[in-house]
Amino acid sequence: MPRKPLTALILLTLVAGLGACSENKRTDDDAKTENRQATGSIATDPKDSKGPAAEVPGAAKGGTVTVLRQSKISHLDPQRVYSFVGLTASQLYARRLTTYKDDGKGKVVLVGDLAETPGTDVNKDCKTWEFKIKDGVKFEDGSAITSAEIAYGIARSFDLALTGGPTYIQEWLADSPQFDTKFNFAANKTSLPPGLSTPDPKTLKFVFNKPHCDLPFAASLPATAPLPPAKDTGTDYDKQPLSSGPYKLTKNEAGTRLTFERNTFWDPATDAMRHQYPDAYVYEFGANPVTQTNRIIADSGADASAVSFNGVDSSLVSKVVNDPALKARTLQEPTPSEYTLTINNNKVTDLKIRQALNYAIDRDGVVKTLGGDTVARAVTTLMPPATIGWKDYEAYPAGKSGNPDKAKELLGGKTPELVLGFQDDSTYQELSTHLKGNLEKAGFKITLKPIAADTFLDETKKKDNPWDLYIGSWGADWPSGASILPVLYDGRAIKDGGSNNGASYLNASALNAEFDRVLALPVGEQGPEWGKLDEKIMKEYAPVVPLYVDVMFTIHGSKVGGIFIDSIWGSVAVTNAYVKQ
Amino acid sequence: MSVVPLDAERVEQDEPPARDDEAIAARSLGQAVWRRLRRDRTALVSGIVSALLIVVALAAPLIELGYGIDPQDSFKDDLDRYGMPYGVAGGVSGTHWFGIEPGLGRDLFIQMVYGMRTSLGIAFAAAIVTTTLGVLTGIVSGYLGGWVDGIINWITDVALALPFLIFTLALIRPLELAFYGPREAVPGWFRVIVLIGLFAAFGWTATARLVRGQVLSLREREFIEAARATGARTSRILFKELLPNLWAPIIVVFSLSIPAYITSEAALSFLGIGMLEPTPDFGRTIFRSLNYLQTDPAYVFFPGVTIFVLVLAFNLFGDAVRDALDPKSMTR
Amino acid sequence: MLNFLIRRILLAILTLFAVSVLTFLMFFALPRDPATAMCPKNCDAARLERVRDELGLNDPKYLQYLHYVQGIFAGRDLGASQGGHCDAPCLGYSYVNSEPVTETFGRVIPVTLSIVVPASILWLTVGIGLGMLSALRLGTVFDRLAIGLSLTGASLQLYFVGGVLLLTFVYTLKVLPYPRYTSILDNPWDWATALILPWCALAVLFSAVYARLSRAQMLETLSEDYVRTAEAKGLRRRTVVRRHALRAAITPLVTTAGVEVGAALGGTVITETTFGLRGLGRTAIDAVKDGDLPTIMGTVLIAAAFIVAANLVVDVLYTIIDPRVRLR
Repeated sequence: MPRKPLTALILLTLVAGLGACSENKRTDDDAKTENRQATGSIATDPKDSKGPAAEVPGAAKGGTVTVLRQSKISHLDPQRVYSFVGLTASQLYARRLTTYKDDGKGKVVLVGDLAETPGTDVNKDCKTWEFKIKDGVKFEDGSAITSAEIAYGIARSFDLALTGGPTYIQEWLADSPQFDTKFNFAANKTSLPPGLSTPDPKTLKFVFNKPHCDLPFAASLPATAPLPPAKDTGTDYDKQPLSSGPYKLTKNEAGTRLTFERNTFWDPATDAMRHQYPDAYVYEFGANPVTQTNRIIADSGADASAVSFNGVDSSLVSKVVNDPALKARTLQEPTPSEYTLTINNNKVTDLKIRQALNYAIDRDGVVKTLGGDTVARAVTTLMPPATIGWKDYEAYPAGKSGNPDKAKELLGGKTPELVLGFQDDSTYQELSTHLKGNLEKAGFKITLKPIAADTFLDETKKKDNPWDLYIGSWGADWPSGASILPVLYDGRAIKDGGSNNGASYLNASALNAEFDRVLALPVGEQGPEWGKLDEKIMKEYAPVVPLYVDVMFTIHGSKVGGIFIDSIWGSVAVTNAYVKQ
Repeated sequence: MSVVPLDAERVEQDEPPARDDEAIAARSLGQAVWRRLRRDRTALVSGIVSALLIVVALAAPLIELGYGIDPQDSFKDDLDRYGMPYGVAGGVSGTHWFGIEPGLGRDLFIQMVYGMRTSLGIAFAAAIVTTTLGVLTGIVSGYLGGWVDGIINWITDVALALPFLIFTLALIRPLELAFYGPREAVPGWFRVIVLIGLFAAFGWTATARLVRGQVLSLREREFIEAARATGARTSRILFKELLPNLWAPIIVVFSLSIPAYITSEAALSFLGIGMLEPTPDFGRTIFRSLNYLQTDPAYVFFPGVTIFVLVLAFNLFGDAVRDALDPKSMTR
Repeated sequence: MLNFLIRRILLAILTLFAVSVLTFLMFFALPRDPATAMCPKNCDAARLERVRDELGLNDPKYLQYLHYVQGIFAGRDLGASQGGHCDAPCLGYSYVNSEPVTETFGRVIPVTLSIVVPASILWLTVGIGLGMLSALRLGTVFDRLAIGLSLTGASLQLYFVGGVLLLTFVYTLKVLPYPRYTSILDNPWDWATALILPWCALAVLFSAVYARLSRAQMLETLSEDYVRTAEAKGLRRRTVVRRHALRAAITPLVTTAGVEVGAALGGTVITETTFGLRGLGRTAIDAVKDGDLPTIMGTVLIAAAFIVAANLVVDVLYTIIDPRVRLR
């Protein structure tokens, strides 16, 4: 009787042995892909904001484009959208005040979306802004979109019950982080928040107490999407948002599948960046990256016109890159999501230790642990390379794999004992295990402390949190240093809990003053200043150890075209997608 | 998913061993079983394989000494820029017998040796604890009957109705927070203890049901009646008279629950609630390797075949023990 | 009979009550404050307090529990941010899913049912059939093959079998679509082709278990005195098997099968994860990861209800098919 399983075993051995027999040869193929840097600008010519968008070469009408994603989109309600997938998917059905024209190679132009231009700074002091609404923009029911519906959408974002979503515009209008105390939406549904007005149906006006030169960027977030008060269903609106874009949600199988079909009232002549090629878009949730990759490699049925949102799993990368036919169906771009070994400056007060950490880090090992070039790219700067005005520098040059000797020298024989907190999932477990080994070689003693993934942000944002180091990340809301450096390193934003500071708890008054100075410059002049400031912070304070930026490496079916990696958020963008006929 | 080894319930259906010569059977049972096991070729092979694997697990530090590589050693230079090992079959070589793990760059062989120690340790400990708990409650509930039986039965019902995975997922972290400060490292063995505890909390019910059933029919037998009539204390009847007659089913449940716990522990890793890095763990290695089915088959092959052989050997051996213990099989 | 039924049902309700209390208590051990899940992005202490008030988290624990139970039987009023009034059976409102828990269940329970019911029919018929046949042909090549296969099957892992099935039939041969749940009412063909792989994966594992189980049971029965007597009386073997042995051998299998199917209905986490389906199991696991308390509570209760109900059905079935069982 034991013969049967034994035979099976021998067979299995043979099969596996054969599969494993191709040799992976050592080659010196260290091809370096260029960093994608945003050459972004704000459109000054109103023509840039006019539709229709330039045709995508080879595009055809018809078919269904499927987007595969592991987990569902947390919110569909434009006022609550704040995830990368939500931001890109909502382009299909939610038009905003402004949006980006993006060539997928880093060249982005901020243009008016519902507005004719990306905003007018009326008094050139960044305090009063006016937006003129385009003619011919309509909801999916055919009713016209005016400034009143956009203003209502913004007023609605003050409602605390509508969790999620950015809070920039609310805080700027209320001039306080406690914006709900200045305007209680639930009690005043017919009025508008302070500073927001609609002088006429074609005009939307913002008046701020303080200058906010970044408003055109902030207005590109879908929180400025329009909604008629009569159609507001409160928290239920999340399930069935009213479309103002080229597609409308026709079937919502929450947590499983979303189906979008053409919105016939959308007029391409009003839209500078969207198209309406496929008959439908389907977002399908539940498949993990391995499954997504396998399905798209198989390229059968509906999957032939599908794209993987989460990208090629690192375990399958070698299969994809070594097959030219598959490689031709991939897209690879670094994203603006940057990961740092964030140092708790409250606890690690010795600059030498922070600098030693920077010398010791083995970024090459970090990248390999994560799965190689197609998953991550090492960075040494605070701003990701995709930021406008990014300056490449290395404050603590130590080679690709770090310089433990230099670190030991700085430590001067001491052995700092540091606790490293990280989000508890398999990726971070592996990454932190690598970091521990890496740093202990340079004379540190590292204790690993997993923190439940769902509480990680809340816990590290507590000022008196007990950890010395944590793996932090930041994806900027727009490609300007203004949404990175002051947000993460302005010490005045530190609070006891829910601190908006990037949890490094750096608080240097010299820096805080610098932030104010650069923020008050016209947006066009800020770029290089942020680059300089970036280097200054790293050289003088070393508040974090920059590690890497995510790389988006994804694959799509053979029948789908026009997919690109969004330059702003680094995620799969579908507005140009079409199905090859 | 049930944590309870399904096979255990099969034993429940067996009628209690009918023995006419109780006294003789009790004494010579061990020898008889041993004789029968030795004659059974399947038992012999599976027994040797199981023992071998246990020895490997126990001798992990010695193997490390001879092998010369620590489970935490990382060989990142042997990985290409996609994190895949250079060389044939996932980097198999004289130094790395089973190759190295893609991405992490650790030696697979020594990872597996230590991982097996973790997995077998958890499985054995969980099996011992659940069996003990189950036998105790089963005997008490079956022999005493009445309201004690009613209450224990009801508690068993409740425990059976609680979903094991959800509770495990929800309780693991609070337990760690309760015992360790936010800056203290939670040692690998703590998670081991927690997993064993959770397995025990949910896994004792099957054994308890089984033992209770056996006791129910045994307690009406003459030899128990006789012991009662001579005025023996309850504890004496329970442990001196009843227990020796229960060894056969208990051993079978025990040996069959070990492979069940090995696979359960692997399943926990599959859901990301098993053992954490850097503690080597068999289940986690297997789960991680599955993604590499196409790109590094050797990485799937070594741990995959090992867990298959491990579970198969324990299952076969458990079966053989059951056959050997079953008096009816003597006639066959 | 009626008395027995009433007693069993009362006991089942008591069990569910205990499960609900235990689950409820467990949540207070969780590190995450449920209020933070719905606190706005720049949440602070004052806001958190307001949210806690609205959620009723500042009420005494027993009152919170009572409100929950009241919701199940009579419905209850939730705050405006929780969609207002919630009709019975109200299991609360999930912030993570932005909908009442019962709505989520309406979508995911059919998925789990569609996986478990056909799969269990498959594994029971194949498993018991194989087991019985190999018992009747004890020692033949068929018997050895069946034992070998079932031992191999029982030693395999579902995620491994699932992965290999997907790789073979979906990615390489492309004869089947990737499992994508469609309601049987919408399109029975799509429903079946999408779910055939999960059914097969489950069947490979579980029929192996039942084959071993039923083979042992059948051998046991065949050696019973009354079967031997029947044979000695000169009845044909086929008649003996059909009239006596089969029925006696199947009876005890009912218990195991019943409990197993009940447990599977509570969520086939591994199957759902392997095949990217979203049933009760996946919903429960995601809920724990997201700290989505109302959904966790609901899934635990539903899973427990399935198990308790399965136990009840088994008990009742037992009294019907096995006249020897005394009604206590």
